[in-house]
Amino acid sequence: MHELSIAMSLVEMATERARRAGSPRVTRLNLRVGVLRSVEDEAMRMAFEAARGDSSCRDAELCIERIPIRGRCGACGVEYGVQQDRWDCPVCGAEGELLEGGDELELASIEIED
Amino acid sequence: MNIPIVRRVLEKNDAAAAQNRALFDRLGVRCINLLGGAGCGKTSLLEAALPRLIERLRLVVLEGDLATTLDAERIAALGVPAVQLTTEGGCHLTAAHVQKAIGSLNLDAADLLLIENVGNPICPANFDLGEHVRIAVLSVAEGHDKPSKYPLLFRGARLVILSKCDLMPYVDFDVKRFRRDLERINPRVDVIETSARSGAGIDRLASWLAGTIAHAGTWRTASGSSGSPSLPIEPVVTPLSRTHLMRAGQDVGLAYGLVAPVVRRK
Repeated sequence: MHELSIAMSLVEMATERARRAGSPRVTRLNLRVGVLRSVEDEAMRMAFEAARGDSSCRDAELCIERIPIRGRCGACGVEYGVQQDRWDCPVCGAEGELLEGGDELELASIEIED
Repeated sequence: MNIPIVRRVLEKNDAAAAQNRALFDRLGVRCINLLGGAGCGKTSLLEAALPRLIERLRLVVLEGDLATTLDAERIAALGVPAVQLTTEGGCHLTAAHVQKAIGSLNLDAADLLLIENVGNPICPANFDLGEHVRIAVLSVAEGHDKPSKYPLLFRGARLVILSKCDLMPYVDFDVKRFRRDLERINPRVDVIETSARSGAGIDRLASWLAGTIAHAGTWRTASGSSGSPSLPIEPVVTPLSRTHLMRAGQDVGLAYGLVAPVVRRK
């Protein structure tokens, strides 16, 4: 349930940013999460629900963009998104190496009421 | 109105972790974060390996758990100073937890701080504690497919300890497949196959742990530090812990819970 720690940070960051922009209300948070982070959608939403209380995020929509893990085939060199249990190259079936990324966990932007 | 932010969500934890690491560096302490699922054998591995290091290195262990001081008591019984940090239900340690416990750790008299994280293959992997080295533990009973299922745990590790290898005849653990999947996720990782019960691989593990110390060639001896290992050990819970414990009941999620130093008593 690391989702709760994430949700609490999200609410704090968004609330602070909206306050500095002079807005009473955050309408949307755009979160980017790499698949490596094992952030579960439903748990994330429940945690966000619990963490926002009556803060300026109380009516905000939480949008989660999932960033896949990427691999590069050792044989044919093609780059591909790794599917859940398919780590091999989708083109030639050879073993691939894992590329950087997939561990993103960032608040990309927020939308606020003017 | 759309406001771009692009900030790491766990930046506060990362900042606290950086502070911890800077403190460890200043004090010349190496810090290891030991991660793995509940019951994978983390504490038993420490029990097996630490006696081989105790004469060569000044050790401190921070035990993270949801509840109880059981693990710290097991470590303290070896003659190694141990501190139990309970999260009161929290599924992972954070850098702030470690900061709370630092005062009880007596790091001035330590070469190596081992943090045993809460037993959980998922959440703890997301939180930098300020460690220099991350070690993942997987028992053969858990199955060879775990590197693919919990990639973050294995991606960040410098060493993977395969534990309970004495159970190999009784479980369907495919070592080849395990090593292949692991190499794909983390090509530079070391692997040590161990059994805390039979002692297999424990010497290698102890050497590996000692090797994380920069001045490994010139080990300082334990004598003259915080007492000799032969002294009787008894767990002591500080009064501070009770205050924290009570507060924890109302403060779910942020609660630090009990910090109960288990100290040497003469």
